[in-house]
Amino acid sequence: MEFAGVEKYIKVLTEDEKYTEYLEKTLFETLWKTPVIIIFSLFISVILNQKFRGRTLARTVFFLPVIISTGYAYRIINGDLQSSENANISQFSTMMSVDFMGEFLEFSGIYGISQNAEKMLSEMADNIFGIIWNSGIQILIFLSALQGIPKSAREVAEIEGATAWEYFWKVTFPYISPFILANIIFTVIDTFTNPTNQIMERIADMRSGWAFGEASAMSWIYFILIMSAVGFVTIIFRRNSGGENNL
Amino acid sequence: MKIIYKFRKKIWSFFRFIIIFVTGFVVIYPIIYMISCAFRDKNDMNNPTVVWIPMHFTLEIIKETLRAMDFGNTLKNTLFLCIGCSILQVFSCSVTGYGFARFNFRGKNFLFAVVIMMILVPPQVISLPLYTEFIRFGIDRFFTVNLLDSMLTMYLPAMTANGIKSGLMILIFRQYFSELPKELENSAYIDGSGALRTFLLIIIPNAKSIFLTAFLFSFVFYWNDYYMSSVFFTDTKTIAIVLANLENELKMNLFSGTAVQISPREMIVWNEAGCLIAVAPVAVMYIFLQKYFTDGIEHSGIVS
Repeated sequence: MEFAGVEKYIKVLTEDEKYTEYLEKTLFETLWKTPVIIIFSLFISVILNQKFRGRTLARTVFFLPVIISTGYAYRIINGDLQSSENANISQFSTMMSVDFMGEFLEFSGIYGISQNAEKMLSEMADNIFGIIWNSGIQILIFLSALQGIPKSAREVAEIEGATAWEYFWKVTFPYISPFILANIIFTVIDTFTNPTNQIMERIADMRSGWAFGEASAMSWIYFILIMSAVGFVTIIFRRNSGGENNL
Repeated sequence: MKIIYKFRKKIWSFFRFIIIFVTGFVVIYPIIYMISCAFRDKNDMNNPTVVWIPMHFTLEIIKETLRAMDFGNTLKNTLFLCIGCSILQVFSCSVTGYGFARFNFRGKNFLFAVVIMMILVPPQVISLPLYTEFIRFGIDRFFTVNLLDSMLTMYLPAMTANGIKSGLMILIFRQYFSELPKELENSAYIDGSGALRTFLLIIIPNAKSIFLTAFLFSFVFYWNDYYMSSVFFTDTKTIAIVLANLENELKMNLFSGTAVQISPREMIVWNEAGCLIAVAPVAVMYIFLQKYFTDGIEHSGIVS
């Protein structure tokens, strides 16, 4: 056996164009998906924490992704939905996709936004399904974090006459900021290690093609990338909040 | 003033309804499909006019799937596994999280990085080492015992905060405990109670919602786990394992002997019935547990 040194790593990074392209794509995807998921789940959990009629039903609906998306049922339902070529179902899926967003933008008279922003918006609309289905765990974490806000804080805010907006930024936000960090870490890792993302598929492909050396070099590079992303998030949070309550 | 306030509240509740409805629809859509398919006759799958409402409503498919899954025994096994593991995991992870939140010790940052890695490293990576560990559990040459196909293979990792997605649990607990006011414990320490006693008597009553959340997560993760349990279990069947092998189970238990040809499209009805059976118990459990998520808590024991 011979020690190959870093040869494989260099080879993977310089010669395998697909790998670097997918790396870029995945990084970009995580970069915009994470904030969207965090904001969306925070928003939904604040709503679910309010009192209204049908709250039990709404909470159950948003818990369903947790049950289904972590299990085998997700694969079955997804596969069946795609394989059954029901006219209406395919209509539904095209309604959700790019054209819908483009038409909506034209309809509302927005032409001026740049190509990039439009592309991102349409990509977002394309991904609405994925975003909502991947927010279940985050919503539940935020919901339980909101329970931790003491009643006295709300009473004080009411006496002071704070608006809902002020209440959110002055009371809710500081209380749940540790959970925002926890959720960001989880979301980043979850998006990176999603088995359907292209990097993971590429590594699996290399492995099944018996290129174990390249596959493990790829995995290590990817692993280091994820760890540095998590470290980066942690450092930013520590800077901004004095560090006491965070990592 | 009051009218404006009321008006704003009306508008908000209208928007709230729209938001919940639209986003909820995205979640509900596949569920409706699942339920609609589970209650229809298999011939309806070939009928292009049937989209949502089945033409031949039937409970037969559900009954057949229940029989093929051997539902009674499987459910018993699964509950035995899930409840035991969840309780053990919630306890071990909460103690670990409390340690990270409140105590300073050497190597804390390094150990916490290890916790983050626990979220990162998928179970596929550690399943083989765990398998070789459990097949000859103990100390070599003194005594070893084969733990495979026993619940201990799942209980032991859960007990030591190494269960499924334990990293996430520890992270949640740590973040929750670190924001609890320190005054809570101070009075207990002044009264001379130790760390564990303080944790059991002061912290747990003040952190009910996070314990409930962690229990729910843990339950769902174990309920849905088919990878780890199919590695360790050979004869023990859980709902997730059966669901993952549903087609084979159906072939063995239902279609054997009779030369029925089942097309993939017709197979959908049984698949969806299986999904419904696997999902429904947890959803029902959540409906009963979610009412304990009530807004706001009183931190008992603080004198300000």
